[in-house]
Amino acid sequence: MDKKKLAKQLGVIALIIALFIGLDTGIYQLFIKRVISHHSPGMQKMSVEVGNYVPFTGSANVFSEDGAKKLEGDIPVIDGAAALLPVYAGFVQSIYPEDSVIFNGEDYDAKSAMHYTNTRGAYKDIVDGNADIIICAQPSDEQLAYAKEKGVELELVPIGSDAFVFIVNANNPVSDITIDQIKGIYSGKITNWRELGGKNVPIAAMRRNKNSGSQTALEKIMGDTPIKPDYTALFGSPIGFSFRYYVTGMLAEGGVKILTINGVAPTTETLADGTYPVSGNLYAVYRKGETNENVYKAVDFMLSPEGQKIVEKSGYIPIHQL
Amino acid sequence: MKDKTFVIILAVIMAVGVAATTALLIYGYNLWKEISIVEMIANWG
Repeated sequence: MDKKKLAKQLGVIALIIALFIGLDTGIYQLFIKRVISHHSPGMQKMSVEVGNYVPFTGSANVFSEDGAKKLEGDIPVIDGAAALLPVYAGFVQSIYPEDSVIFNGEDYDAKSAMHYTNTRGAYKDIVDGNADIIICAQPSDEQLAYAKEKGVELELVPIGSDAFVFIVNANNPVSDITIDQIKGIYSGKITNWRELGGKNVPIAAMRRNKNSGSQTALEKIMGDTPIKPDYTALFGSPIGFSFRYYVTGMLAEGGVKILTINGVAPTTETLADGTYPVSGNLYAVYRKGETNENVYKAVDFMLSPEGQKIVEKSGYIPIHQL
Repeated sequence: MKDKTFVIILAVIMAVGVAATTALLIYGYNLWKEISIVEMIANWG
């Protein structure tokens, strides 16, 4: 036996095994470790599990006004953003007939008057006529263009609001940011936390899917400044964005922190007096010229003190003072 | 070690390695689809 040859062969085998171990360890550290489930009960509570928000099931997550008058006749199909599911589940439980909601254990039946998709799906459905009312944040330019292309005009009625917040990992020493810095980060001009008084670590600027409610909100903040993709995102320390309600329940967990903007924290007071600079309305959206009078009755209920209480109990800020 | 044995061992190691890496990527991708941006930032110290 040629010992040199054997050593060479064993060396090649060891090298290939080491390469695979290195590759898989790298994938785990950079990719999987960040998304593997560390769900604490607090985080799980904030995850929108559709089964936890089914009206008429006695769910403690659905807040309703039991004395409200129920709709009769042609019941409008309602849909909306994932984050706003608690709000419209509460509306449905308050004014929809119980037999109009059909949930099959995993999702809503096609014949159900309540559906659950997300912002992108809901705006498509209202334009295509598959939904009659949707509860969402403002539409993106693309969604408005789609409506125009289909000859549909949308009526947007504000029913509540919430702060748009920027979040970082709780260990990040940076606590405050300005609108210009946000624009700098998402346009690729600011790339290191050191430039914001933090550690010498690249900024991983996280984004959402195009046409999602929060991505559209970011686009509005950016204005004419283009959002550039962050190709080094995996190696940096992240910044992300969401609506306040989505995040607040998790603050007690210690995993994330909401940045103040220009030194102002997003509270009910700073939103009400306008000192917190970034907020967004929640809208009830329907097609202009809608002939189903129940659509208008439903929207009237959403704007009534009872409807506004549901907005507030679901974690958002009512559009009318209660 | 005979060349044939060496090649078979290499092929087995490569197959196992590629399968493990693929499984890891599929596992990660499925987690990635489900996790919210908030949870991801909380995990990402």
